Amino acid sequence: MDLLSVPSPSALLLALFVVGYLVLAGADVGLGMLMPHVARSPDQRRRVVASIAPYFLASEVWLVAAVGVMAGMFPELEHLVVARLWPVLVVLLAGWLLRDAGLWFRARVDTPRWRGLCDTAIVAGSWTLAVSWGLAVAGLLTDGLSPSPFPVLCTITVVCLFALRGAAFGAERLVGPFEAESADVAARATRSLARFALGATIATVLAAPWSGGPSPTSLGAAVTLAVVLAAALALTSGLTGPMFSRHTSALAIAIPGLLVASTAGLPTSGLPGTTAVFVWSMLLPVVPVMLLGQVWLYRMTRRPATGATFFA
Amino acid sequence: MLLEDPLALARLQFAFTAATHYMFVALTLGLAPYILFTQFVAALRGDRSRMLSVRFWGGLYLVNYGMGVLSGLVMELQLALNWSGIQETFGYTFAAPLAIETMTAFFVESTFLGLWIFGWDRMGRWAHLFCFLVVSLTAYGSAWWVLVSNGFLRHPVGFEMVDGVAHLSDPMALVTNPAAVFAFLHVVTGAMTVGALVVAAVSAYHLRRGQDEHGIFRRGIRYSAIMMCVMPMLVVGFGGAQFQIFGQDPPTSGLTYTAEEIATIEASGGGGLVAVANLTGDVVMMTSWAVMFFLGPLIPLFLPLLSARRGRWGRRLGLAPGPELFSRPPARWIRWALAPLLVSPALPYLASIGGWVYRETNRQPWVVVHHLTTADAMTPMSPAAALASFTFFTLAFTVLAVVTYTLLFRYARRGPEGGPLAERRADADPGADEPAAPVHTF
Repeated sequence: MDLLSVPSPSALLLALFVVGYLVLAGADVGLGMLMPHVARSPDQRRRVVASIAPYFLASEVWLVAAVGVMAGMFPELEHLVVARLWPVLVVLLAGWLLRDAGLWFRARVDTPRWRGLCDTAIVAGSWTLAVSWGLAVAGLLTDGLSPSPFPVLCTITVVCLFALRGAAFGAERLVGPFEAESADVAARATRSLARFALGATIATVLAAPWSGGPSPTSLGAAVTLAVVLAAALALTSGLTGPMFSRHTSALAIAIPGLLVASTAGLPTSGLPGTTAVFVWSMLLPVVPVMLLGQVWLYRMTRRPATGATFFA
Repeated sequence: MLLEDPLALARLQFAFTAATHYMFVALTLGLAPYILFTQFVAALRGDRSRMLSVRFWGGLYLVNYGMGVLSGLVMELQLALNWSGIQETFGYTFAAPLAIETMTAFFVESTFLGLWIFGWDRMGRWAHLFCFLVVSLTAYGSAWWVLVSNGFLRHPVGFEMVDGVAHLSDPMALVTNPAAVFAFLHVVTGAMTVGALVVAAVSAYHLRRGQDEHGIFRRGIRYSAIMMCVMPMLVVGFGGAQFQIFGQDPPTSGLTYTAEEIATIEASGGGGLVAVANLTGDVVMMTSWAVMFFLGPLIPLFLPLLSARRGRWGRRLGLAPGPELFSRPPARWIRWALAPLLVSPALPYLASIGGWVYRETNRQPWVVVHHLTTADAMTPMSPAAALASFTFFTLAFTVLAVVTYTLLFRYARRGPEGGPLAERRADADPGADEPAAPVHTF
């Protein structure tokens, strides 16, 4: 049963957490991927980590919540996801661990070698995460991963969307007190990444009808989402700067999540009433606190910290 | 052969992950109330020396929390990846509390911890205190929901079987499950002793060197003295209360297997390594708690040694060194008297790990008692994949845990001036003394 025809509140909650994760964590994962490109000096690298640091904790909790909801409210779906994607998810977890370890430990030892090691972990972990997400999206849209063009192209598209989101984020956040070189590099990268992502999207759509492609439950929804994605990328590829790419990249990276939620035909029904009432009655009173924390954090850290913080 | 048996590898991997996770969680739970209390008093009185104390213990808290989160993420995902059999049958009952935990506790905890870390110079002291209050409350909320899930495994209650899937029928039974309630109280009080003795050990280290200009470590010993008089008794009490459900069949027994089938499974599943681990865990836990139960209440004897006021008797006996002496090492015999505190955290850590090994091996061969065996709960996987996953995560965890403990020891030894949250001096950071406004180019 797909979400568009019967959007049960719990299924919408799961979709919200996944899409929220992609949009919010896309920014810091993407910037982690682009670190070697946008940051050349030790100070620039420090600034990249300082831009990621306030957000990675507050964005990865969306994924943790999604995993929790999936386990507790959609065990059938979880079983399917694990059965189809076990190796991908193990690699995703390994990348996640590596990346977070790099972020937590980077500022703890004051030697260039240690920082180099942690930066490597952050970059490698970010790439591993993005590629795993690409494979996961492909594996969920099709019936498991097969060696055919669609999964490969779909993965490339998702990786590009992560990088684009990171570039847009970096163009906004990497402005230093004395120079903005890495912000400029990131801003220029949004244009080329958007063009590349647009190409990859078109190639993915063209590969879809062939073997190994997806069989969407609602062709209309799939086409609409693909058109929105292409439009967002086309808009980004014509402009430079974070002003619009901030929003278009967020919209673009939300599309793979929405596609999976609305057209993959995942089993999201059958949640017994008692469990639903139990979970929702515990969740609802806390929702204001969850929102307060997220909004407060994003507002408070709008201006980058000038001095050193815990992470960088 | 162990390495060719995915079940053995998956079990070992989960045991290792859970044990590592709990080592860090225990300190998180143990330090949070102390930091919260100190920050409250500091905010109330506008006390700078107490704020230094919050920055010092807070730095240790964060280094420790990082590894707690890393291992927690791996644990949650590993539960889903390697043990999907539990979710398949008991998703709506066992995993529902975990869903609540991820959303209402961990989600909020991590966000507000970010606010606390980045809010030192950006928000008022009461708002900053509020952030840590939320962090502490949700840390305990997290422990509560996780133990509701864990208690369900030991003593499954409140559900009915519908087409081979457990459907929750009585949420109240789930949250008032004695296996969850007493375990929560036992774990929480146990974690408080971990926190108290870690504070005591770090404090003793600095007091032995006469480094306590701000009174941070004298207050640490005082806190630890109070805690160690109260907590070990509670830990033992709540631990003992759990034995009431031992040997008792869960009320849902018979819904999945008949009594004969249960007897057959239990007869064939016992023995070997699990029994040895169970006994070892039991002995280690009982011994450690016995030592703490009897020796903990002796810690207040240190207080007169460290009192800032030197009364007539103190002068005559050469006790209390007085405030002016806290900038140089105290008398040799006081140094010796403080020495046992340095190694004291080993006791509650050993007791905690021993206790968990005892609890978790005790319900084998079941993962959900009388409903699902551990072997049936595992995701089918190839030996090669199981070995690769086991090797990577075991290695990664060992490295990360060693790094974290090295850092914790280093920061604990450096004292309040060298911590990760310590106030930066202008000369230490050349960029900080020229606070130019960031220039946006777009």
